[in-house]
Amino acid sequence: MSKIIHPPALHIPRKAPSHLSQSLISAAGLAGCTVVHKDGQEVGSLVDLVFRWDTNEAYPPLSGILVKVGHRVVWIAASQVEEATRKSIRLNTAQLDLRDFKPRPAEVRVLQDILDHQLVDIDGARVVRAADLYVANNNKVLRLVAVDVSYRALLRRLGPSRWRKHSSPGAVIDWSSIKSFGRSENGQSLKLASSRNELRKLRPGELADLLEDLGRAERRELLDSLTRDQAADALEEMQAKELEVLLRESNPDEAAQYLTSMEPDEAADALRDIDEDLRRQLLELMPPTSAAQVKKVLSYDEETAGGFMNTAITTAPISETVRDLRKRLTTAKRPVAEVEAVVLVDAAGNFVHDATMAELFLAEPAKKLKDIISGPSPVTVPPGASIKDVADLLINNRRSSVLVVDDAGRPLGRILADDIIDALVPEGNRFHFPRLLS
Amino acid sequence: MMKLRHLTSKRLLIAILAIAGPGLIAANAGNDAGGIATYASAGAQFGYRTLFFMVLVTVALVVVQEMCARLGAYTGEGLGSLIREQFSIRMTTLALGLFVVANIGLVVSEFAGIAAAFQLFNVSRYISVPIAAVLVWSLVMFGSYRRAERIFLVLSLAFLTYPVAAFLSHPHVSQAASQLVWPHFILSKSFLFLGVALIGTTITPYMQFYLAAAIADKGVGPDDYNRERVGAIAGALFADIISIFIIIATAAAIRTRAPLSSATEAAQALKPVAGAFATQLFGIGLLGASALAAVIVPLSSSYAVSEAIGSERSVGKRFREAPVFLGLFTAQIIIGASVALIPGNLIHTLINAQVLNGIITPILLVYLLILANKRSLLGDAANGPVFRAVATVCIAVVSILSLTVLTQTVLGWLGVS
Repeated sequence: MSKIIHPPALHIPRKAPSHLSQSLISAAGLAGCTVVHKDGQEVGSLVDLVFRWDTNEAYPPLSGILVKVGHRVVWIAASQVEEATRKSIRLNTAQLDLRDFKPRPAEVRVLQDILDHQLVDIDGARVVRAADLYVANNNKVLRLVAVDVSYRALLRRLGPSRWRKHSSPGAVIDWSSIKSFGRSENGQSLKLASSRNELRKLRPGELADLLEDLGRAERRELLDSLTRDQAADALEEMQAKELEVLLRESNPDEAAQYLTSMEPDEAADALRDIDEDLRRQLLELMPPTSAAQVKKVLSYDEETAGGFMNTAITTAPISETVRDLRKRLTTAKRPVAEVEAVVLVDAAGNFVHDATMAELFLAEPAKKLKDIISGPSPVTVPPGASIKDVADLLINNRRSSVLVVDDAGRPLGRILADDIIDALVPEGNRFHFPRLLS
Repeated sequence: MMKLRHLTSKRLLIAILAIAGPGLIAANAGNDAGGIATYASAGAQFGYRTLFFMVLVTVALVVVQEMCARLGAYTGEGLGSLIREQFSIRMTTLALGLFVVANIGLVVSEFAGIAAAFQLFNVSRYISVPIAAVLVWSLVMFGSYRRAERIFLVLSLAFLTYPVAAFLSHPHVSQAASQLVWPHFILSKSFLFLGVALIGTTITPYMQFYLAAAIADKGVGPDDYNRERVGAIAGALFADIISIFIIIATAAAIRTRAPLSSATEAAQALKPVAGAFATQLFGIGLLGASALAAVIVPLSSSYAVSEAIGSERSVGKRFREAPVFLGLFTAQIIIGASVALIPGNLIHTLINAQVLNGIITPILLVYLLILANKRSLLGDAANGPVFRAVATVCIAVVSILSLTVLTQTVLGWLGVS
């Protein structure tokens, strides 16, 4: 893991106090400002500020500036910049070698590519658009320290240019909690290493909301910077329609990978409304066992138990001992946190009992599973049962899940209480305008 | 096959609509209250003589819609977001400000359409418009708009009877055909005014924003773009074919060759299909089309502005979660309904709103052209030299017409002409 340096002096609170706002320089205000020589002679006007994204620091340092001299746009390295104030930039040299700007891979033109573009505010778990960017002097190094997302900053930029010079930070977000989507000139995406750590703080539901709110390129980038598990959890939280869009715009190999890492019922939900060719293609790209599980769910009607059950269930023969089962659970590929209960089956593979984790936890390790069965056998549902029936059963049964069992007595899948809630709560509380008619 | 079993007849209809898809929706959204009034007025006033002009407008529409669809597919962003990212903040404000103004004009015309439809059933506009405004507002606020919109869409399908009416009305076929293909213009103030209204109602800014956002939001990428392009072009052509039939049917039914003055008059064009019930059929269609657009148009401006400002793109239903979106939506409904209540001829209000759109359209088209020309944005999908030339000519012609009408109108206000 790379080390991240946080200069403590620069930590900007959300509402910047006035003494801090004095030292913040508005990047939008600098656009077009005069760049002067050491002796005060005018060189040209500022076109853009270029920052380095690859230093593993929370606040990117200035790499150089682009200045319009006559009709030419030239590059001036940060080492030649003496001082930046709100109104001008002064150079420390009287001699300039005018070089054309050649974009390097880890450098970002912030006025062109960050200002007015989408960013993720990780602390606030929301998508924002940068209305202004703030630069500050830290030990003679100019750094990008904060982003302003207030309407006031927008109004300031709308007015006459002298308004722009007065930075009046409104809703300011410290740059260290920003995930940016800078793209360098060669189209390669740039990630600040620090934001990757910050992203871990987000809950799957929050990530899902962010993925839904971002534009296509930004969504792709955010998804790429998540770990595979984190991505799978977030995808499961997305609405089926949104997920469908995401799968359609991803390349098929990636889409198949996402589907494989998701629970089969959630994957089936996303695939249900997608056009048939793409569905077939994606299922073919998935590993056969995962694909088979998803196909099984897809073969049932969406409105019945079979259509929203989770086919990934853990089963154990009743002849097995509690100790062996526990050992098997700890070494299984499926994370044990996802196992709601273990389905006990007889030698023929037919359903006998549904043992909760609490039951297994408290049982004598040496006992055989058939000996720990107590109480009436839990109620199961056939795959054709309606959502309403399953909900009623769950309430009567006082359990957090119910098993789906076919006519022959074979367990097919499990329905969790939250699947029922998902199915019963309408999606109507969020909308995307273009989807009104589809 | 399993799914079909569950389809009731209502669901089946929705399924058919879904398959007919964007083309049909685009066609019907284009033929909103203002559209019907303008096309019918063109037929009543100039007979078949606007048909060639409509062919030119169709070419421009195809060019414009194709650029919108391409921008949506290649960038995955709506026009509101693209304009904010690619233009300065002032240019963005100008574009979105004009877009909102054009759309408020349309909202006024949709409520005028609702008022005109109810007048056909002898309901005063002072009753129908306030009720409709509250209904439209609550449908969006309380989230039951989806079902309502399908109902409006089905009602508006009444206008698909226009082609039948056009055939049954024994139009002057040879005259209509020659006017369609023979290049000609009429140099008169009233023709120019109506021409700009025809442009405004056909190449509507809100359809451009809608199309780009719809394609981006569906997840259509460069790989699927060819199929989507066929859909976008077919939709534009289909919309204009219906429009042309509205002109022909009305031209055949109304032979006074004077500007249209009432919805009752316009309804006569459907007589060959519905006989004595022509007024009712027209009223139902007008109500559906107006109500449908009265929901979508103000939503499209709210959506574009929210997208550009960067406030929540997908909007929660609670007011405090999306103040910009819902505040703007509410304001548009209030202004639209209030203006539609000002006493005056509803048909004239409808057409004036289209002229306003026609004057604003070319400005927004310039933004669109700049975006579609950008290689830094679209790469190889940016406009090639030929396409660029065609699009530039289209936009230049539209601009000259709009500017002329604008100058004439302003001079008229000043009492010069």
